[in-house]
Amino acid sequence: MLLEVKNLKKYFDTPAGKIHSVDDVSFMIAKGETLGLVGESGCGKTTTGRTIIKLYEPDYGKIIFDGQDITNLTAKEMLPYRKRIQMIFQDPYASLNPRMTVGDIVREPMIIHKFPKDEHADRVNKLLRLVGLSSEQASRYPHEFSGGQRQRIGIARALAVEPELIICDEPISALDVSIQAQIVNMLEDLQQELGLTYLFIAHDLSMVRHISTRVAVMYLGKIVELAETDELYSRPLHPYTVSLLSSIPVPDPDEAGKKNPVALEGEIPSALNPPSGCNFHTRCPKVRPECKTLDTILQDEGNNHLCSCPFV
Amino acid sequence: MSENILSVRDLHMSFYTSAGEVKAVNGVSFDVKRGEVLGIVGESGSGKSATMLSIMGLQGSNGKIKSGSIFFNDKDIHTFNMNEIRGKSISMIFQDPMTSLNPVLTVGYQLEESLKRHKWHGDIRARALEMLERVGIVPAAERIKQYPHEFSGGQRQRIMIAMSMICKPDLLIADEPTTALDVTVQAQILKLMKDLKNEYKMSIILITHDLGVIAGQADRVLIMYGGKIMEQGTRREIFYNTAHPYTKGLLRSVPDPESPKKRLISIEGQPPNLLNPPKGCPYVKRCPQAMKICLDHNPKAYAISESHVYSCWLSERSEN
Repeated sequence: MLLEVKNLKKYFDTPAGKIHSVDDVSFMIAKGETLGLVGESGCGKTTTGRTIIKLYEPDYGKIIFDGQDITNLTAKEMLPYRKRIQMIFQDPYASLNPRMTVGDIVREPMIIHKFPKDEHADRVNKLLRLVGLSSEQASRYPHEFSGGQRQRIGIARALAVEPELIICDEPISALDVSIQAQIVNMLEDLQQELGLTYLFIAHDLSMVRHISTRVAVMYLGKIVELAETDELYSRPLHPYTVSLLSSIPVPDPDEAGKKNPVALEGEIPSALNPPSGCNFHTRCPKVRPECKTLDTILQDEGNNHLCSCPFV
Repeated sequence: MSENILSVRDLHMSFYTSAGEVKAVNGVSFDVKRGEVLGIVGESGSGKSATMLSIMGLQGSNGKIKSGSIFFNDKDIHTFNMNEIRGKSISMIFQDPMTSLNPVLTVGYQLEESLKRHKWHGDIRARALEMLERVGIVPAAERIKQYPHEFSGGQRQRIMIAMSMICKPDLLIADEPTTALDVTVQAQILKLMKDLKNEYKMSIILITHDLGVIAGQADRVLIMYGGKIMEQGTRREIFYNTAHPYTKGLLRSVPDPESPKKRLISIEGQPPNLLNPPKGCPYVKRCPQAMKICLDHNPKAYAISESHVYSCWLSERSEN
């Protein structure tokens, strides 16, 4: 296992109270695989990604990277792991410094992680070509590029220090449809060539199905279901996953006509005061009286298919 | 009364910026039939929003309609006072409900504003409550006194829908109405829009980049690119008898539900820069089937059926 996350919790204190962003999340990622992490806004998927790389300090639980517990490392001790775990962000406009040239942006991680200076220029050129840009573009500024090209720059920056794990936080959701496919294909090619491991955080369920080896579904700070991609999409067990998958609009008029989304009432409740028991009970179409009090734990329903609903 | 509520003919619209003239809409023609949902698909810069702003007369001081005509209810739209049309006969909802609502006014005030402006005959508060209840914001009597920040994203979009429908418009322009919402909420909002459309017997222009939403909602579809319409047809024609290379490319670049793991076929390259648009077909630089003629000559529209039209030089070849 390249990464193990055990009982991870991350709460945020606000004047209104404690926000339970990540509430007892556990999963593993094997070397070379892509774990998709899906869920609606506010479910804690981004916070999970950021806590793993310790942009947020975890409140509870363990993060084990390549056998080493990194949960309580200081910033200085964390540095070598930052090299091995990189991140790609959602917004290619906000995640690049507008006053740095593209070359400087891609070079910066090499300086931080002390790559031999005489190799920098060469590596920048190589990386830009690797992500489908040209080395002449190194002297230009982010505003001269389109959204898709900026995302390529962000990917080149992440690759600059030869990471093993890349946390991709909604890397395509800000891009146009025709550009999304370019970026997804590129991420797949890079994974093959460089043996990368991805945590792919997204809300586009059909893209997640396409790119992921396994998929974890989050709801209100908890993982409610986790399985191999085909298994999860063809045999969803948790009522939340069932309605989530049935709500994906399919690009086929005949199929769309046949499709009957399992409608969910209302919206995701506030993580300030999450519902008791199974936190999905307020919207669950199959709710029972005992759901208000029961403790939910992920249980293996066979085929390594984990589900937190005991009534499946 | 013709069957079309809206007809746009050969519309050309430009924005004048410090960098030069951005030719946002380059000869766009289409109709919206009474009672239909017309889906418009296009990427950023395809001209879809600029076309809608031209219809609403909201192109701004640096935007200029250079030529073409827009007919609403069989009359030239420029003969109307747009202040009387907007919000009453044609209304619009936008992608981001938070920035479209005024944060310092109550939801009730904003709902009633349009009734007052358009001199609603009858009890204004009663109509606002009725509409709020209809879109599922309950208890309406209490919630009408609240401010936008007290609602979730999906509820705000419901309020926007209530505002847009409150004067019973003939045409609703919905510009990416569910893009900012989660899938389960998106399903709720799309169903609400469809129900209200049938209740009010109105037409909807639904702008989205999500081909899944189009497949489920639109009666007819326009595919726009680089300020032009590449292809238009019924939803079945667009999905099952796809004609234009760009439409084909778009449909191939999303995962196939039948074989989700298959490698995606992406459209290489970038959309054209409309500061300096290509002389011929705007798609020429990215088209796998581009020919010499595509570079310099704009293709004519070719009708496959009465409803199915596409603009591509390949049509000439298939004709011969």
